[in-house]
Amino acid sequence: MFDLLGTALVNVAQVKYLLPLFFGTLAGVVGGALPGVTITMTIIVVLPFTFGLDPLQGLAAMTGVYVGGSAGGLITACLIGIPGTPSAIATTFDGHPMAKKGEPGRAVWLGVWASFFGGLLGGAFLILATGPLAKFALQFGPWEFFSLFVFALSMVAGLVESSLAKGLVSGGLGLIVTILGSDPVMGQKRLTLGIPFLEGGIDFLPVLIGVFAFAQIMSEVERMGGAEKLADAVDRSLGLAVSHLKVIGEILGRPFLLLWVAFIGVVIGVLPAIGGSAASMMAYDQAKKLSKHPQKFGSGVPEGIIASEASNNANVGGSLVTIMAFGIPGDAVTAVMLGALTIHGIQSGPLFILQNPELAYGIFAAYLLAHPLMVLIIGLSTSFMLRIVTVPKAVLFPVVLVLCVIGAYALNNTMSNVYVLLAFGLIGYAMVKGGFPLAPFILGVILGDQIEINLIRAIMTDADPWLFLTRPISGALIALSVASVVFAIWQHYRHQSKVAGDSETDF
Amino acid sequence: MGRDGIAGLAVLAASLALFVLTLDLKDSPLVPVGPGFYPRIVLALTAVLSLGLAVADVLAHRGRRPAPAADATKLNYPLVAISFGVFALYVVALPWLGFRIATFAYVVASSSLLAPPRGAKGWSAPLILALATTVVTWLVFERWLSVLLPRGSWTDF
Amino acid sequence: MKKLAIALTGFALLATAGAFAAYPDRPVKLIVPWPAGGDTDNIFRPYAPLLQKHIGQTVVIANVGGASGTKGAKEAKDAPPDGYTLYAVHDYIHSTYYTGVSDVNYTDFEPICMISSTASVLTASPKTPWKDWAGLLADAKARPGQISVGATLGSTSHFFPALIEKAAGIKFKYVSYEGLAPRMNAILGGHTDLTDANMTQKGKVEAGQLKFIAIATEKRSPEMPGVPTLKELGVNVVYDVNRGVLAPKGTPADVLVKLESSCAAAAKEPAFADSMKKQATDVRYMGRKQYADWLKGNDDLNKTLAKDLGLLKR
Repeated sequence: MFDLLGTALVNVAQVKYLLPLFFGTLAGVVGGALPGVTITMTIIVVLPFTFGLDPLQGLAAMTGVYVGGSAGGLITACLIGIPGTPSAIATTFDGHPMAKKGEPGRAVWLGVWASFFGGLLGGAFLILATGPLAKFALQFGPWEFFSLFVFALSMVAGLVESSLAKGLVSGGLGLIVTILGSDPVMGQKRLTLGIPFLEGGIDFLPVLIGVFAFAQIMSEVERMGGAEKLADAVDRSLGLAVSHLKVIGEILGRPFLLLWVAFIGVVIGVLPAIGGSAASMMAYDQAKKLSKHPQKFGSGVPEGIIASEASNNANVGGSLVTIMAFGIPGDAVTAVMLGALTIHGIQSGPLFILQNPELAYGIFAAYLLAHPLMVLIIGLSTSFMLRIVTVPKAVLFPVVLVLCVIGAYALNNTMSNVYVLLAFGLIGYAMVKGGFPLAPFILGVILGDQIEINLIRAIMTDADPWLFLTRPISGALIALSVASVVFAIWQHYRHQSKVAGDSETDF
Repeated sequence: MGRDGIAGLAVLAASLALFVLTLDLKDSPLVPVGPGFYPRIVLALTAVLSLGLAVADVLAHRGRRPAPAADATKLNYPLVAISFGVFALYVVALPWLGFRIATFAYVVASSSLLAPPRGAKGWSAPLILALATTVVTWLVFERWLSVLLPRGSWTDF
Repeated sequence: MKKLAIALTGFALLATAGAFAAYPDRPVKLIVPWPAGGDTDNIFRPYAPLLQKHIGQTVVIANVGGASGTKGAKEAKDAPPDGYTLYAVHDYIHSTYYTGVSDVNYTDFEPICMISSTASVLTASPKTPWKDWAGLLADAKARPGQISVGATLGSTSHFFPALIEKAAGIKFKYVSYEGLAPRMNAILGGHTDLTDANMTQKGKVEAGQLKFIAIATEKRSPEMPGVPTLKELGVNVVYDVNRGVLAPKGTPADVLVKLESSCAAAAKEPAFADSMKKQATDVRYMGRKQYADWLKGNDDLNKTLAKDLGLLKR
């Protein structure tokens, strides 16, 4: 295993792969730092570029985006107090106060090095756990996959903050998208609504691109028209010089905290559809509970920054485990990576690591190498990063949408995917306005066909429906799905007295 | 009834309508359950959930004054609508005008819409942006990565 | 009004200028109707750059998978017949038509050339108890309709085991696994017992992850001489999957001529033979005329097969 990893590291260190990895990481850092541009949107923009690259080049670029994006958010979080991505929300709690107290360099670099170490711990887990988990996943027959997908869907619907009913309806709407057009087993036409291009069904990538890009961009557009306040808030002459050894010492001097928050990040990453923002919030909460001086949290303590940033980068490692071992995208970012894999003809799933060892280890190597690159990029760019994050939206948005159109069109070289993009852009924006969470919807669209195919396969293999409950792994997963819904209802009643505020939409 | 209730009823109506459509589907000879089997499960489930959403909304609103919309910031919905409109025009025009012409026009329109240019000089920014976007994407995708972009059926360009 | 007229004339001129330019003056799209990484994709991936070399324009593979390969077929059929959209096909076009899975027939296209032929191998999961065909046959007779076969329904991977059923007087149970890669996942995990595969899976057999039961050729394969042919086991089934290139009906004759000559030159490249050897596939070239006759013969054969197997829906 380690010789494979060594070979892969040497391989990815070639210019051919290092270049896409570098540009991916750079795009990730910039996209992560830009408020209003999430990692999902960055990876959507990077997607069309990967069509023309070889598979490992494309995946290296995307891994770079994921790693860079998870760290990039901290720059804006610390210096301006606005999270560049949702996963940096918890970083603002202590990062911004520390920067305001005159230590902006310490705040940023604590975050960067915490991301670095957290990410590498996540990487260790990724490399050690993917193989064994894939072996375990090979035992999964159609029953287990069906139950696993149902579990993923019920969990994400239950986790959304707003309301369980809305989360579940969102998930149901996502599944409805996949039943339109044709059935995935025999290709028989069904529910085409008389629209010719629906006859082949709807691909999930244009749906995902449309929903995320428009929900986000239009939510920004509606606040435009006034002068942009962001530029004023930025003092561009901040000195960020800091002793790196001292900062690293501050982090490694808290080994228990680092390990614990990285563990939280990895576990949340492995669980489908929860994501970096939950990881960093939970890790921050844990750091506060474990601290000897919890009352100081929020005033600029290093533990707060370390917890948030180490966990959201470890989370990336965990998400990659899920997609590589099970072939299930845990979030929108890995869903785009899965799409890129399929475009290049690589079948994801339990056999992935066995059948494509050079690719699997190439991803590991890219993941590991992305971390020093991320540190390097942030180190070189902090001085003008603030100029980049204040780029006018009028420049950014049209370019992003053009890249979305290219991405949708180039999937199959057909206009129909561009029409799908537009339609779901409208639907996505309407859902945000109606307070319907997007995550369950997207997961429904991604998993819908797989749920149906595995259900039909199970019935074709054995007509006994009780097998879903009596096969141990499948039964356990069904029990967990029921438990997650029950838990969400219980939590809903417990919190009902509290007035639900407007929660941050997590893209 | 509030926003959620209306949304719930809309989803309920849509799922019931689709459910009726699945009843016409013929079973396949090669598969024990037909193409309508799974859609009916999904639609029935969604119908029940959306009904639940509507009922919960009615119950929540009973005996409580509907809170007035208290949005402190005024949101610029006309701009959103026009932005969608311009994008829709772009999508419709793509197969006729071709990628290069349509993209140039779209970026000029959309960028100048979001930041209205002041005076004749102000137009240079969106024009340069549009030209750069079009040329760079065309070169990178079509020439370098051989990702094909739409060609115009009117313009053949 | 006058301006408009001028503009329209300009457009018309541009359009005709485009039409008169020598074919091809822009990249050509080759639709592969399955997800990338399947066996069809593996054959056309190395072929595309060679075709590109001889045609003088970029050839881009577009994987349009879904619905037993009929989504891509429909898209190819509906594409403008100008030679800029080609369609990578194999025998499934006949079987999906006659089993009613698809409305697209081979007559919706102009044949250009056939390039390859891959023999089918009956392959079993390592978790199955049988060591050879005799064991499988005895088990199948003892438990009719119980042994599961992963197949793309209505396509070649369904026809091949169905022919064996008929020849050996046994009955299988079919489970839908579209494409070779998912079928391999299922069979390695032991979730299905049998499937149609080919010699590309040799590595997994040598690693003990799969069992080759028998090959559907006239003579044993030199690649793996230990695998018996179905014929010598007393099952009279010879089955292979033939792949070629089609263009939408109505493509101009001069374009077809150009395509045929480029296609032939590409298929005769030694590099193509090398990569096909790795896929355990024979290069089998046929020109337009010959391929058209072959398609017609194969179509009749598939209709008969579908009827014999009780799958005929037309």
